[in-house]
Amino acid sequence: MSPLEPLWAALATAGFAALFGLRLREAPVAAAVGALGWAIAAPIAAATGSTPVADLAGAVVVGLAAEIIAVLRKRPASVYIACGIIPLVPGAGMYYTMLQYSRGLNLEAQETGISTLAAAGAIAAGIAISGAMARIFSLRRIAGRRRPTPLRRRSDGTEAPGGSPKEAATSRRR
Amino acid sequence: MSDRQTKIDPEEILLLAADAARVALESGAETYRAEETATAIATAMGGAEAECYATPTGVTLSFMGGDGRVRTILRRIKRRSMNLERVALVSALSRSIVSGDIEIADAATELGRIESRRALGPLASSTAAAVGAGFFSMLFGGAWNDAIVAAAVGAFVSRLPPVLAARRIADFLASLAAAAAGTLLCLAAREAGISSSADATIIGVLMLLVPGIAVTNAIRDTIAGDLVAGVARGADAFMSAAAIAAGAGLSYWLWGLVAGGPG
Repeated sequence: MSPLEPLWAALATAGFAALFGLRLREAPVAAAVGALGWAIAAPIAAATGSTPVADLAGAVVVGLAAEIIAVLRKRPASVYIACGIIPLVPGAGMYYTMLQYSRGLNLEAQETGISTLAAAGAIAAGIAISGAMARIFSLRRIAGRRRPTPLRRRSDGTEAPGGSPKEAATSRRR
Repeated sequence: MSDRQTKIDPEEILLLAADAARVALESGAETYRAEETATAIATAMGGAEAECYATPTGVTLSFMGGDGRVRTILRRIKRRSMNLERVALVSALSRSIVSGDIEIADAATELGRIESRRALGPLASSTAAAVGAGFFSMLFGGAWNDAIVAAAVGAFVSRLPPVLAARRIADFLASLAAAAAGTLLCLAAREAGISSSADATIIGVLMLLVPGIAVTNAIRDTIAGDLVAGVARGADAFMSAAAIAAGAGLSYWLWGLVAGGPG
């Protein structure tokens, strides 16, 4: 990996962050996440020769970084994830698959296509893993975010009249 | 504050919650986030029970108000475009509704303001696309001249899908046309000797069109158990990938006919 590559990844990510409507002062943060993902994935891809494994590792790191930044900046993690995984997205793989098909190299195209799909799956799996890790290590955020139907809380901390909404609902039904 | 439940019209709560989910989905939020936003808003505003079912093409919210009546609303989603700032703002709005910091009328006004937030103007979005395409081409082994060609072509190509969409051209055809135009321009630039690598410039340009986020979100939705949404997003991503491949392939074929040999 050329030492400049993370820089190109950062600048490309910043361009995409702006394109995705992120406000400009958040772009450097998104760019740093994108560069981090590339700096993790590129050496692993070079060492192992496996793009999916490298993308998995890169995506886990991108996801964790995004979860941490999300807590610090009080914004959803997915905002930083969407930008940060951009350098990992197998656009080149899709292009080479198409190129090989159009040149009649069907076997090679199938191979590239499957590896491209695997890379996309690996990125998604990496994000899911980092999300799960964030939830395991932060119980407070489970309470705040993942409860399907949260109980009503008053701003002054008292419960709503009639107990919890669920109980109120049941009693009304009877 | 304590009689918030009795004062608010349940229909207003229903509309606000469903519209918040709709805006989130239209801006590219994950399915689970949109569903949680709607149920959290509805229950925080005084609903006894709320269930939301979201897919990329519509939101259904069923809600029992303080009076014990069940109401349901359906919101159709027809246009989807990535706008991360809106996703973040809707999420912040729902958090302040849940914590009781904002009244329903203000929340509805705020949601309207979030929804009317314009994406980047044509010039700014072309600039962003040029930066993205140019540096991607360097990331994939392009030299400076390749990056400049990719940036110029990318700035032009990124305008095509929105312009065609405004003329009610289907997304599939818009992606196909954009990919074909981008590939053709990159091949021409290589032929004219401006750029040295056709592959690096074309990859940079096509990255702007490739549904990378859509593919990833489709798989993430499926992993999260939102199976219908995952399959729908997957179909969407597959169609636009097919369109881009077809467009780029078409240009290569045309180029072969005219210039006598593939790139």
